[in-house]
This record gives sequence, C-alpha cells and structure tokens, in this order.
Amino acid sequence: MSALLSNLSLGFSVAFTLPNLGLCFLGCLVGTLIGVLPGIGPIATITMLLPVTFGLPPVGALIMLAGIYYGAQYGGSTTAILVNIPGEVTSVVTTIDGHQMARQGRAGAALGIAALGSFFAGCVATVIIAGLAVPLTRVALLFGPAEYAALMTAGLAFAVVLARGSILKSIAMVLLGLLLSTVGQDLETGADRMTFGVASLSDGIDFAVLAMGLFGFAEVMRNLTVDQARDVVHGKIGRLLPTRGELKQSALPVVRGTLLGAVLGILPGNGAVLGPFASYALEKKLARDPRRFGRGAIEGVAGPESANNAGAQTSFIPLLTLGIPPNAVMALMVGAMTIHGIVPGPLVMTRNASLFWGVIASMWIGNLMLLVINLPLIGAWVRLLKVPYRLLYPTIVIVCCVGIYSVNNLPEDVLATSVVALLGYAGSRLGFESAPLLLGFVLGRLLEENLRRALAISRGDLAIFIHRPVSAWLLLTGLIVLVVAVVPAIRTRREQVFVEE
Amino acid sequence: MRPSLIVLAVVLALPLQGRAAYPERPITLIVPFAAGGPTDVVARIVGEHMSRTLGQQLVVENVAGAGGTTGSTRAAQAAPDGYTLIMGHMGTHGAAPAVYPDLKYDPAKSFAPIGMAAGTPILIVARKSFPAKDLKEFVAYVKKNSEKLNEAHAGVGSVSFTTCAFFNSLVGAKPTRVVYRGTGPALNDLVSGQVDYMCDQIVNLVPQIQAGTIKAYGVALPQRSPALPDVPTTKEGGLPEFQVSAWNAIFAPKGTPPEIVKKLSDALTKALADENTRKRLLDLGADLSDKAAQTPEGLAKLVDSEVARWKKVLASASKDAAPPR
Amino acid sequence: MARIRVQAPQDLVAGASLVAVALFALWAAGPLDSGRMGAPGPGLLPRFLALMVGGAGLALVGVSLARPGESLGRWPVRGPALIALSVVTFALTIRVPGLVVAGPAAMLVAGAASPETRWKELAIFSFAVTAVCTALFRSLLHLPIPILVIPGWVTL
Repeated sequence: MSALLSNLSLGFSVAFTLPNLGLCFLGCLVGTLIGVLPGIGPIATITMLLPVTFGLPPVGALIMLAGIYYGAQYGGSTTAILVNIPGEVTSVVTTIDGHQMARQGRAGAALGIAALGSFFAGCVATVIIAGLAVPLTRVALLFGPAEYAALMTAGLAFAVVLARGSILKSIAMVLLGLLLSTVGQDLETGADRMTFGVASLSDGIDFAVLAMGLFGFAEVMRNLTVDQARDVVHGKIGRLLPTRGELKQSALPVVRGTLLGAVLGILPGNGAVLGPFASYALEKKLARDPRRFGRGAIEGVAGPESANNAGAQTSFIPLLTLGIPPNAVMALMVGAMTIHGIVPGPLVMTRNASLFWGVIASMWIGNLMLLVINLPLIGAWVRLLKVPYRLLYPTIVIVCCVGIYSVNNLPEDVLATSVVALLGYAGSRLGFESAPLLLGFVLGRLLEENLRRALAISRGDLAIFIHRPVSAWLLLTGLIVLVVAVVPAIRTRREQVFVEE
Repeated sequence: MRPSLIVLAVVLALPLQGRAAYPERPITLIVPFAAGGPTDVVARIVGEHMSRTLGQQLVVENVAGAGGTTGSTRAAQAAPDGYTLIMGHMGTHGAAPAVYPDLKYDPAKSFAPIGMAAGTPILIVARKSFPAKDLKEFVAYVKKNSEKLNEAHAGVGSVSFTTCAFFNSLVGAKPTRVVYRGTGPALNDLVSGQVDYMCDQIVNLVPQIQAGTIKAYGVALPQRSPALPDVPTTKEGGLPEFQVSAWNAIFAPKGTPPEIVKKLSDALTKALADENTRKRLLDLGADLSDKAAQTPEGLAKLVDSEVARWKKVLASASKDAAPPR
Repeated sequence: MARIRVQAPQDLVAGASLVAVALFALWAAGPLDSGRMGAPGPGLLPRFLALMVGGAGLALVGVSLARPGESLGRWPVRGPALIALSVVTFALTIRVPGLVVAGPAAMLVAGAASPETRWKELAIFSFAVTAVCTALFRSLLHLPIPILVIPGWVTL
C-alpha cells in the first residue's frame, strides 16, 4: 500500500510539471477533436503526429499520445449522440440510445452523462492500473486462443439483446457482419477470399467504410426521406445537464459498466471492444422495463460509455507491464516509445519508473481535463443541432468524406462507402439494424483467427473449448445470455411496437 | 461570409513551382508497414538525419497492407523524381516474389536502389519453459518432437514466417505453424506458453529476453549483437547455415536520375556515420556491419541474391511442409 | 387448402434479400477450400456463415407468410441517389484537383437531394466548410489531404 502511494506520488510529481500538464491538455484536446470528427481515428492521427513528438522528452510524448487515445474515446460519443455516427468501434452502442435521446431534446443529458460516466470510469481505471496492473497481467496471460474464441462467441450473444426490433433480423445482421469480416486475405493460407480481384479488398473491409456508410451516409439518406424526423432533431434544446433523477438512474450502470470495461480491457487480445456491448446487454437485462432501451434510455448511454473509457485505459496494462500491444493504437505507442529510445517491456516498470508512473498519473489528470473540456462544450454541441438541416446534412456528408479518405488516403475507400450507404439505406427500409452488423463485423476476425489458432494448437480437437475451464465458462455464459434473451421474446411473441427510424 | 475570402487568399498565395535544385520540397518516404513496427522505427531514425543533410523533410508515410507489397507497389509506380522513396525490407524486396505469385513489381527491376539503412538480426526464441539449454539441444529437440510443437509466426510472407520456414527446412522440422495477426499477439502467446517457439527480429524481442519472459537460443549474425551480448550466434550454437537478416533499405522508383540517387545515397551514408544515429539504431539491436550493401551497387547485389535465396527456401519449405492437418 | 397470403411484405423482401446475399456469398466463396471441422480452411467459415444467413432469410420468409407485419412502405430514390452521387463526386475529385474543388462540389451535389436547399446560401457555406476542413485536417492534424493539385503546376 505504501509502495503504491510512493509510486503514485512519484507519478504525480512527474505529471504535474507545467510542460507535461500542457502536453496532457494538448493530447486530450486533439483526442476530443479526432473523436468528434467521424472516420479519422487515433491511428491515423498518432501516426501523423509522431514526428511532432520527436522534439519532446519521452514522458511528455507518451503522455500526449495517451491523451489523444483516450480523448478520442471520449469525443467519439459526441458524434454518436448528436448525429448518429459512431466515430469509433466502441461508440456503436452509444448511437442506439444516445441519438434517440438527442431526438427527444435530451442531447445535453446524454452528452453530460457520457462525460460524467467516462470521468468516473477513468478515475477507477487509473487506480486499477496503479494498484493491480501486475497481478492482472498474470490473469491476462491465462487467455489463449481457445479462451478468446469462446469470449468472442459469448460476445455474439449480446447481439440479440442489442436488437430494437425483430430478433430474427438482428441475428441475421450479426451473421452478415461475420460474413463481411471474412472478406479479404486469409491469414493462415494467404488466399484471397471474396475479393473479386480488388486489391484494396485483400486487407478486408475497413471499419470506417462500413460505419460511415451504414450510419453516416445512410442516416442522412433516411432523414431526407422522412419529413418529420429533422424537426425533432433541431426543435428543442432542453437541459444541458442530466437531471437529478437521471443521475440517480445512471449511477449503478456507470459502476457496472466501469467494472465490465476495465476487466475486458486488460485482455491482450483487444477484448476492450466487447465492453460497451456487454454493458448495454447487462443494463437492458437488469432494467425493470427493457422496452425503454432503444428509445432513449439513459442507462443505455451511461453504462456503455463508462465501459468504453475504462477499457480504453486498462488496455494500457498489457502494454505497460508486458510491453505487448493489445491493439493497433497500442502498437503505435510501442513504436513511439521505441523511437524515443525506450523499448517497452516487462522491465519498464522498474527501469523507467518515473515514466511508467508519470503516464499513469497523467491519465487521471487527463480525465479531469477531458471533463473540463467537454462539459462547457456541451452547450456548443447542442446548439449545433440548431443549424438548419438543409445546411447540416451536406456538412455531415463532406466531413465524413474527408474522414474516410484520411484513414488510408484512398479515394477508393470513399467510393466503397457510397455503395455501403445505398445498401444500408435499403437495409433500413427492410427493417434491418446496423448495430448488430457492426458487432458481428468487429468480432468476426477475432473469432475466426482465434478459433483456427485454437484448433491448430489442439490438432483439430474441438474438445479444447470444453477442457479449458475459462473457455468452458465463457461459452456457458454466452449460452445463458442467449437463452435468457430469446425465451421471453418467443413467449411474448413480437409485440408490434414499431420504432421509427 | 469571410471564410470564403480566406480560401481565395490561400489559393492566390500558392507557391508556384519553379526550377530549383533537388530537393526543393518535402520527400515522401513510404514505409509499407504500420507505424511503430521495426521498419518504421528504422525509417524514422534514419530519415530524421537525412532530412537535416538534404535540407528538406523526409516525411514518413505508412502504407500498410498485404505484407508490405501494397506500399511497394505504390512506390514502384510513383513518379521517378526523387520525391517518393520507399523503405523496403527483406520481405518486400526479397521474399515477396516467392510468396505472392502475382506481384505487381519486380524487386530488382522496378526500383533504383539507394542503400541499406540497417539490418535487423533474426533471433530464435522459445517459451520460458522450453526443455533445452542451448541451440544444439534446441535443434535436437525440435527435430525429434517437431510434430508435437507449435511455431508462431506473424502471417504468410512476414519476416517471422519466411525466416522460420528457413530454420525449419534447415533442421528438417515440421511443426504446426500457428498464425497471428502481427508479431505482438504472437509474442503474447509465446510469453504465456501457448506456443513453443518462433523466429523474429531482434528489435521486438530484446526487452522480453532481458526480462526472462522468453528464452533466446541464437542470433543469426556473424558476431554477437551488442544489444544482447549473452545470446550466442547460430555459428557458435552449431547452426552456421542459419544466416538471415531482416534488412531495411531505401529504394527509389526505377528511372530516378542518377544525380538524385547519388544525393540520397550520400545523405544515407552520412546518417549512418553519425554517432547519435548509430547509437539509437544499435540500442535497438540493429546491425550496421554490412557496409557493402549501404551503397546502391551493393544493395542491388543483395536484392538479387535474396530474391534467389528465398525462391529456393520457400519452394522447398512448401514441399516439405507437413501435410494439411 | 387455404391460400398462402403474404402478411408481412417487408419481412418477405427482407428474407428474400438475405437469401440472395447468401447465394452470392456461396458463389463468391466457390473456389475456396473448406478444410475439415478440425482444421478449417479459408472457405469453411464464409460458407458456413452464408448458409446461416440464407437460413435466417428463409425463416424470415416463413414468418412473413404466417404473421402480419409491416408493409414495404415508400422507397424514395432521388435523395439517397444524390447523396451517393455526392460521395462519388468527392472520391473522383479529391486527388486532383483536391479538396478546394471536391468539398464544394460534393456539397452542392448533396444539396440537390433536398427540396429546401437555398443555392446561394449553400454555395457560400460550402466554401466556409471546406476552409474549416482544411484548417482542421491539414493544418491542425497534419493529415496528407490534397488541398489543391493541378498536375505540373501546383501541389498543395
């Protein structure tokens, strides 16, 4: 305990210097910005900003880059809530209830709870990293390919809970998402799969292309064809902050979301993407009236947003303690550290103690800064909805275009998005939802790769998934979620409450 | 609406291109891999010093995909004006023709070589609990038990894939080759003992070996690496045939004027002679001993021999590979 | 025997489209090797998933015949088509001549999708947005977005 305190005080003494506070603020600001801008994510930004950090000392550089990363998670929710575009994988869930709240004139409440929940999650996650990083790393190493495959399978079960309308259609969308994720070069054999000889498809369909097409552009197409919808968006403004009652409603979801997100974030195989989905599923199950979900339930924003931010921070654990990056952004961090002459690895904690603890302390400071940046911005964001839709929608189109282009600097990506958008528009006319499709798409690759890895290691013995206890438990959990979700739905039949799109 | 005036002002203020000495604007250095990887790090360290010599920024652009061949294709098709270069490596400019049958460029014919920036030695590593105390025992064990063993690699065509294919064919091993998306996840499962061994670039492995989370059995270098002085060379360990390096080298598109090639090559030589740049590269475990390949002529020779070598190795590897499970 | 009546046209079309997608995927995955259950090849999962999608589609078709549901509703084409065209315009003009042209052009095409558009207002606004995008993406975030490219003359 005293060691923890002395470590943290070392960390704060490093992070609380003027230049480092400034870099932390800058990182959070840039992060918020790229989170808000659709398409462009932390990977493209950090790659481009890497040379800028060369002149900085390593601690400062890392503090800034980390700020960009979790700042982006923060900012992503803003676009999701206001204009129904998930800037990051992790804010897909936020579009479901967050955007409905905005349409009801409760954008301020949704943005406010997202900010407050994220702040709480950030604080807890910082403490978890500081106190438990090392023992947690050992737990994370228990996860092999079989466990990941089981985890992803269990994650797919959440899709059923995600559905606003027909469960059957939701399942179909998850399957379609999985199918789309198999497009591209097969990792094991190098064979091109369903690419039709298109070179840019051999690395698979880009998430930004799919998300911008299905949400960004298709949403504009839908709005243009529904006469009333737009008035709802910019009619009333409502309160800028959640009411006391809403805060009370969100308290427990925030705590649960934080814990779920923190645990999943530790897993080195990018388990963090599951956090918001899991949290949403949990809240919907626990709610007294699950029908409110999908129609602007504040718990559906509070829980997932907390899970998202907690996961974003605990995903630093494998990087900091093992030196092994769990996802592409963390891999960039490794590169950034390497260029600065610090090769991340198991010894960083002891060899570069001031760097290690300085970065951790900066995360807490950064979360505070994000709150300070974002709460006053809520007023401005909400007023954005007052811009007449005839001007807002061309702006959305163009910003999305620039965003997609900047992911890989390929005009082909932009072209592909227009096709996805038309298909997404047709799909929504047929009552299909986009969120389950994206869930399937995101989990698909992880699922297939780990499944095949596990089978390779077990020499084709499927029993590996049952013999390994963690994997068996995960599969059982998934099964329970599925049964609990499907049985009442079948019993009550489909009550025909149609949710407008 | 003022902002429209700003745009107009920007348009009018555009610098018109004139005739000036090369380089008169920033140079794009394509890295055909994601930022943060070994090739990217080498490119940025060397590029920083070269920018100073040339008086123009060398801007690294990461064009990842298809084992580096996407970025290499783009570089091969770029205008040969010296403003687009590529940091190719052993995979993109050596093994690629053997891995990708319909490659859209020829490592030797589509480029004007500038020079090698740094070699990154290959290490043979295994999980911490692997029952062998040196390379000899390791090779013997792998030979005997290879059907039970799992070898991790980072995808078809990656450095770990090709170099370990070479290792396996040398010792006659037929392990199950478990594929990962990148070195990071593969290393993770090696640390946790889910897989048994792998071959990879030293840059990724130094900290893990120092911390004792994995075991290193040999480094494929003529002499020991200063970054890991305790790890014996493959020659010391009784496997002298295993000499590979994931060399990183700068190329320009074919047809780049010779005076520009010369200018770039001189800038590279200067960077590699700089004490600070050398130290940063050596600290990572990079190898700077191959002086010959640092020149355009030497690099051209290296590319020819590497293309020929990997064609042979990978052809025999796929022939020897274990039958489909 | 009672006549089969379509009770949920939306579900019928939805199900039929899924079946079509599944057939397309099965065709596209045709040459891929499936491997075995214990050792999946590259084609196993795509094929399996395509069959599942097709199955879900058939189930939807079944439901549409058995239970009342949504009608197909209106399918306006003009708006969505123009938005898609706007995106295509952007894609074709972003490399050459760059954002200065691509931005306003795409926004004006998009503007045609709504009857409420006031052209003069949008034209001015589009240049403002382009300027803001340039400032944000290029100046602040250092992203390599082509601003104005006229081959052989200007590269910005």
